[in-house]
Amino acid sequence: MLLLRSARVVSPPDQLDAICDLRVVDGRVAEIGVDLPAGDSKVIDCRGRAVLPAFVDLVAELPDPGMSWREDLRSGSLAAAAGGFATVLVSPVNDPVLDQGALAQGLVQRGRGAPGARLLMAGALTMGLDGAELAEIGSLLDEGCVAISDGGRATKDLSILRNALEYARPFGAPVLLRPGIPALESRGCMHEGAVSMQIGLRGIPAASEEVGLAAIIALLRLTGGRVHISHLSTERSVTLLSQARAEGLSITASVAARSLVLTDEQVSLSGYSSATRLLPPLRPESDRRALCRALADGLLDCVSSDHQPWTRVEKEVEFERCEPGAVGFESAFAATLTALEGDLPLVARVLACRPAQILGREVGIRVGAPADLVVVDPNVQRPVGPPRYSRGVNEPLRGQALRGRVELTIVDGVVRHSLTDRPTTR
Amino acid sequence: MKRKDMLGLRDSTAEEIGLILDTAARFRSVSERRIKKVPTLRGRTIVTAFFEDSTRTRLSFDVAAKRLSADTLGFSASSSSTKKGETLMDTARNLDAMKPDAIVIRHPCAGAPHMLAQAFPWSVLNAGDGINEHPSQALLDMLTMRDHLGSLAGRTVAIVGDVYHSRVARSNLYGLPKVGARVLLAGPGTMCRPQMARPGVELLHRVDDVLAEADVIMMLRIQRERLAPGMMSTSREYARFYGLDLERLERARPEVLVMHPGPINRGVEMSPDVADGDRSVILEQVTNGVAVRMALMYLLLGGEPLPPGGDDAAAS
Repeated sequence: MLLLRSARVVSPPDQLDAICDLRVVDGRVAEIGVDLPAGDSKVIDCRGRAVLPAFVDLVAELPDPGMSWREDLRSGSLAAAAGGFATVLVSPVNDPVLDQGALAQGLVQRGRGAPGARLLMAGALTMGLDGAELAEIGSLLDEGCVAISDGGRATKDLSILRNALEYARPFGAPVLLRPGIPALESRGCMHEGAVSMQIGLRGIPAASEEVGLAAIIALLRLTGGRVHISHLSTERSVTLLSQARAEGLSITASVAARSLVLTDEQVSLSGYSSATRLLPPLRPESDRRALCRALADGLLDCVSSDHQPWTRVEKEVEFERCEPGAVGFESAFAATLTALEGDLPLVARVLACRPAQILGREVGIRVGAPADLVVVDPNVQRPVGPPRYSRGVNEPLRGQALRGRVELTIVDGVVRHSLTDRPTTR
Repeated sequence: MKRKDMLGLRDSTAEEIGLILDTAARFRSVSERRIKKVPTLRGRTIVTAFFEDSTRTRLSFDVAAKRLSADTLGFSASSSSTKKGETLMDTARNLDAMKPDAIVIRHPCAGAPHMLAQAFPWSVLNAGDGINEHPSQALLDMLTMRDHLGSLAGRTVAIVGDVYHSRVARSNLYGLPKVGARVLLAGPGTMCRPQMARPGVELLHRVDDVLAEADVIMMLRIQRERLAPGMMSTSREYARFYGLDLERLERARPEVLVMHPGPINRGVEMSPDVADGDRSVILEQVTNGVAVRMALMYLLLGGEPLPPGGDDAAAS
């Protein structure tokens, strides 16, 4: 039994935003009130702190099995818990790719038993994520996967994408897609614009994402079904998304937390740091501001960690030769809180409530609800350090002074991360 | 000069550019003597690390270092351990263990010299990184222009051709406006893009558009190996709109200078009679290249600005 004392408890679905005490018993919220008696509960003083529904991440890579030196389910789960996440949807970018029902069973079980955040599995859309043949979408979902994903590879062949959407529709699970046209991205390694021209790097035009998104929307209109855009990064993409929603299509989207803070200038400022090589790339300031605005207006649904760990071996190479991607679990909350100017109810909505709803999970802080909770200090401001739990070293936010810190992550009533202790294991 | 490295002209000042050019002009006399050597960098070690093929630039740096009495050693990608899968950083760690004073690097990736400059204490001279910068080439271009035009302030330099893929052009685009020159760009739409225009840099289209105003016409090499499909049509079509031949040159100012960073595709960007004609200063560029590289090594390795006066001041 835990008693969180004198916290600002914020839960938008319950219209709750008040200083109160919160008792957790047997994995559920048992009592919310003022001056609750301690009784047998372990009391945690939360003065000056806020309690939010724990975060839910829809876009993260933990390449286990296959490349577990980069991150395995254990280190990834602990890093996620340290970032305030109770639930992570893992992209199918492992080796072998999670594209057959028989591969899912063991992985789903390992994910449930992970020591930090609970890990849910997304199955692959196509065999080997090659975009050529359909994966065993039905079997993957039957064996416990909760979504289907293109693993961040934009699908080249639109007829395959069309068929995949048709095929997935009756199974009902969301299909995660990254919008992009591979031919427009082939040699690019950062956003194409004034900065790429200045520093002599070949660019990826925003048009790649926007053409890809327009294609996905047109196909979704044709096929029906549910699509979640895993990586949305430009202002015009927000416009396309809101038009699609206005006509009633079932389409939602995530933006990576770091894209709310950093711009393409960072590639230049960091002196070609390979940590700033990302896909989609960091965009200009006008896009960054538009993304923050879209979250506040509800046009954009979720903020993701877009956690993609690489070790020193893979990232200590020339910018043009390194793999795109960055770690994100441990910095996502501070990046989001900073970008959204300390608006905790908004942060709870975009990091916890919307992504949970997209996965069909119960979310909120009310008596009887599962106790997935995060305790944060919203006022501390400090520079981002290297990741503490992740094996990845590629943190483009490193050194940025961001606001907010995760202090405690509770999953099903159990403390899985505490700033002061090592996380407890089952 | 108060900097450790020469990575590009983007972050250089007009004063630094002036100092390098003045110093280079003084060093030029060393190459005119019978004994072409001064003891200035005796005992210093300079490594030339070329991860991309080069003849002219590599020889130019090499001879510059030798004329300053530095010990030089070099390797190229084809003979080095990079072929065996060693990373750039590991190669550099090994070089570092041999205690060099400076490294001259050419690399197919933009930012590779910057990566070394951040990680190691020795000076890094960028001899061309990807499509980013090639500062010593732009400096030797400026020295050549200055020889003929005096001050570059108020002068007009046309850069014609594949500006997008040209590190020479990119360095000139940074350097020339800093010393007060105006730059006109011409070339195919795929190679000259609107984002390149800024104060002091104007975007035009055909070679004919720049002839009347240019004091200098710098023709760029078409690097077919860098071009993605669809970036240009035939060589014949290229020559028709963007090539420089004698008939066009007659419509330029009579005292116009014709430059080219080499190697030339004769008959594509430039006809042979222009390349070898009396307005061409292409071989002077090569001579000045040695002097500019001597000046860069001298200044980066702690040399004081040379006092005004006799040509042999550098020898002391």
